[in-house]
Amino acid sequence: MAEMPNIIAPTIDFQAKAHDLLPDNASYDSCLSCGLCSSGCPASGFDGMDPRRFIRMAMLGLNEELSNTPWIWTCTLCQRCAYVCPMSIDVSVLVGYARSNWPKDKKPQGIVRSCEAQMRFPSTSAMGVMPDDFVEIIEEAVEDLRDEDARFKTIEAPMDKKGAYFFINQNSREPATEPEELAPLWKIFDYVGADWTYASKGWAAENFCMFTGDDDAWKEMVKQRVDAVNELGCKVWVNTECGHSFYTLWKGVERFGLQADFEAASLISYYAQWIREGKLPVNSDWNTQGLKFTVQDPCQLVRKSIGDPVADDLRYVATKLVGAENFIDMQPCRSANYCCGGGGGFLQAGMNEQRLAYGKRKFDQIEVTQADYVLTPCHNCHSQITDLCDHYEGGYRVIHFWTLICLSLGILGASERRYLGPGLADIGLSKSTS
Amino acid sequence: MNAYDPVGTKVFETEVLIIGGGVTGTGMMRDLALRGVNCLLIDQKDLNAGASGGNHGLLHSGGRYAATDWQTAAECRVEAQILKNTAQDCIDECGGIFAAVEGDDPDFAACFPDRCAKAGIPCHSLSPAEARAREPSLSDKVFAAFAVEDATIDPFHITLGNVNHAQKLTDSVYCPHTEAVDFEVASGTITSVLCRDNRTGDSVRIRAKQVVNAAGAWAMNVARLAGCTDVAVLYAKGTLIISNARMSNGVINRLRVPGDGDILVPGGTVSLLGTSSDNIASPDDVRPTINEVDRILREGIGLVPSLEHTRFIRAFSGVRPLLQTPGTDVDGRKASRGFRLFDHEDQGLSNFASLVGGKLTTYRLMAEKTGDLVARRLGNEAPCTTATALLPTGEADRWTKPGFAPRYWYKRNDPTDAILCECEMVPQSAVNEIAADAVGAEKNMTLRAIALRSRIGKGSCQGSFCAARVTSHLYERDVYECGEGRDHMRDFVSERFKGVRPVVWGKQMPQMELAEALHCGLMGLDLQDVGNNENGDGTA
Repeated sequence: MAEMPNIIAPTIDFQAKAHDLLPDNASYDSCLSCGLCSSGCPASGFDGMDPRRFIRMAMLGLNEELSNTPWIWTCTLCQRCAYVCPMSIDVSVLVGYARSNWPKDKKPQGIVRSCEAQMRFPSTSAMGVMPDDFVEIIEEAVEDLRDEDARFKTIEAPMDKKGAYFFINQNSREPATEPEELAPLWKIFDYVGADWTYASKGWAAENFCMFTGDDDAWKEMVKQRVDAVNELGCKVWVNTECGHSFYTLWKGVERFGLQADFEAASLISYYAQWIREGKLPVNSDWNTQGLKFTVQDPCQLVRKSIGDPVADDLRYVATKLVGAENFIDMQPCRSANYCCGGGGGFLQAGMNEQRLAYGKRKFDQIEVTQADYVLTPCHNCHSQITDLCDHYEGGYRVIHFWTLICLSLGILGASERRYLGPGLADIGLSKSTS
Repeated sequence: MNAYDPVGTKVFETEVLIIGGGVTGTGMMRDLALRGVNCLLIDQKDLNAGASGGNHGLLHSGGRYAATDWQTAAECRVEAQILKNTAQDCIDECGGIFAAVEGDDPDFAACFPDRCAKAGIPCHSLSPAEARAREPSLSDKVFAAFAVEDATIDPFHITLGNVNHAQKLTDSVYCPHTEAVDFEVASGTITSVLCRDNRTGDSVRIRAKQVVNAAGAWAMNVARLAGCTDVAVLYAKGTLIISNARMSNGVINRLRVPGDGDILVPGGTVSLLGTSSDNIASPDDVRPTINEVDRILREGIGLVPSLEHTRFIRAFSGVRPLLQTPGTDVDGRKASRGFRLFDHEDQGLSNFASLVGGKLTTYRLMAEKTGDLVARRLGNEAPCTTATALLPTGEADRWTKPGFAPRYWYKRNDPTDAILCECEMVPQSAVNEIAADAVGAEKNMTLRAIALRSRIGKGSCQGSFCAARVTSHLYERDVYECGEGRDHMRDFVSERFKGVRPVVWGKQMPQMELAEALHCGLMGLDLQDVGNNENGDGTA
């Protein structure tokens, strides 16, 4: 039996706070105790907690216990509880509030440090990539790509281009640790002739400040990004293959009443649109081995933000890419999908044992599909599902959509295949090196 | 054993037989046990089955009766203080407010301080702003308010504590569902009380030196069994409703001539609004009605407007056993809250006493007066000590306190100790403890009996889930066999539904839809043969 933690945080009146923060008909007072939230929550059972228990403890006045439970860091704020709740009660709102209530030095330091890194430079990068570094890395990667593949000898990755139609954000992982993964995205933009730009400021996608529960920091990050887009006068801010970065901006603009002179969109919607329009003539001819694929719906993008339209687009793109007969959905999926356990800052929180235990439900879901590959447009899902595969000795791999799109179009370079298995290592290479 | 007793008749001998397991009967049991007397307590149902379980749980400051009955008011003040000193664990000293809102009689409000002063009740004036600062839910139409020392008391905790203490002191015994059906009298002395075990139908013969009738609303019936015609009880039915969440810091009383729906009392994690008052002909089978709920609510909203949108989870009714003295008014609101001890000597009996009337707040005093009489008759010279002796409660008797079970469970942090009741977070270890050791615990303990000794079924789902879970758990532990668990479950949820029915609107409506899906759609409880329930009459 684990010892319960000491008093860490000031005591919150959770019932009163729920009354303030939640809609009247979806506050804790409406709870039916039915447990739909808990039975579908992968964090149920950690620290003796689950979403229903969180609500009941609030109703029974166990405010001190709730204020101090470390469970708030194993909940990934995925909002599946709210989605399945017959009364639409969103437990994550108060979990987020409880996170904000913990003293900074007691919060999981990985999340706190990621937020601090974001606050340090106008890049808003959690990996500390400074604006000048970013510009330099992009320039170098463009040079490398031009040298490597004659077909892209004039390709550009515009920076701070005023009036570009698309403002493209970028998860820090690629520029910081795997720059060879940048090029596939540019190739796709090049292919469809998109008018786009990066920005030296506010380009980063990730926002761990949101996961620390620090609303001011969340707002500050979103504001810097919104300002950067407004400044360049772009029409559409496109969130690339990163889940929470869509939610953080889209929700942040509404939550903090920010002035955004642009539309927020997911790259997935554009992939689908471009395929429908014939601009991205992808097909599954390359999949001669009949490799099986499944899709992980990022909670932040699907359930928490766009919902069915983007879930439909994910499947449209995936089936075009791999063949309908080779696509197997996980069950449940779409907005009812289980969180993988990589979200909410869990990957950065240093609670690996719980994180892997949390993800077992996802691992089992994937295993049942017998998929060879998991497609997911989310870096946290990507990392977590890869970790799950290693830990539970699964047989699948995890890839981005951009990899498969370029593979299908015959434009995927040799160095851009780190996530592909041996069976796909050479496919389409002859064309690309010609 | 009497030659005429049916085969298998159980025989008990005791110094004092107490009939009626309410707060008064159990208080008497403890009072006498503290004097070294062995008692046997019986109840036709179970503890607090009458008025002791059907009230606000209000420990009156006395303010309520200051205008109409200053003696009762003064008694309330003294007794409330004694209970605060001796039974701290059962009491929430939350304080109270008397508030008058626009439309209420300003003269009545103006007289309040003087009337309190006459009864010695501490009371101080609050400005409307001060009153609303103390109780934000109070109407903004308040024009007069006074703070008083109201508190709340958990009547189940105190009753269980009384019996537990008596058991420990003198091996006194409590027998639930044991109903007195006949008295054998010889030469002005009751020699035996013949009883029926309402669950098994078995006969029970109890021989006692003294017999005390503390049957509350049933006291007149019991007295008549003994041939006494001097006891007259007025039955005033009162209905209350329970909110899903606590709505105030302390007690909120309407400052006016007592009427419907004018007291809102916090009960730990919930609040209770009441009451109505209607004279009825019989104390049996009372149940709350929609009409009563509407009346209470209509009045309550004037004092606390948010009641209009409050989620209520249940209504319940109790019967006030009011002392009816010849020639007095028969309006329950105006009848005295005082009590009277009958020694029945003018009825030709030397070892029988009946105690009628009174209030929860004054139960200790009532027990003391009766204890004095009974002790004197027994030749016991020990004085009453309940005014100072602290009330201990047993481990198995602590589960009625709202919020206790979840804190206990959370602190223990034992993942194998599954929660059975999710609303009130009652773990299986609590159920095990109650089934093994609680006051009145017995083989095949019913769900109603377990719920009486815990918070099971008292949350917003009103037994939707815990009924099935606790039953399953008890089957697993071989406590229940064959269909008995199912019958207990049906009896329990039917009893709960009786109370939920008049408050099924708004947020409680989907809750009951879910309950119906579980109990009828899933378990088919509505389709099974109606077996024996605790009432033994097939009613729900």
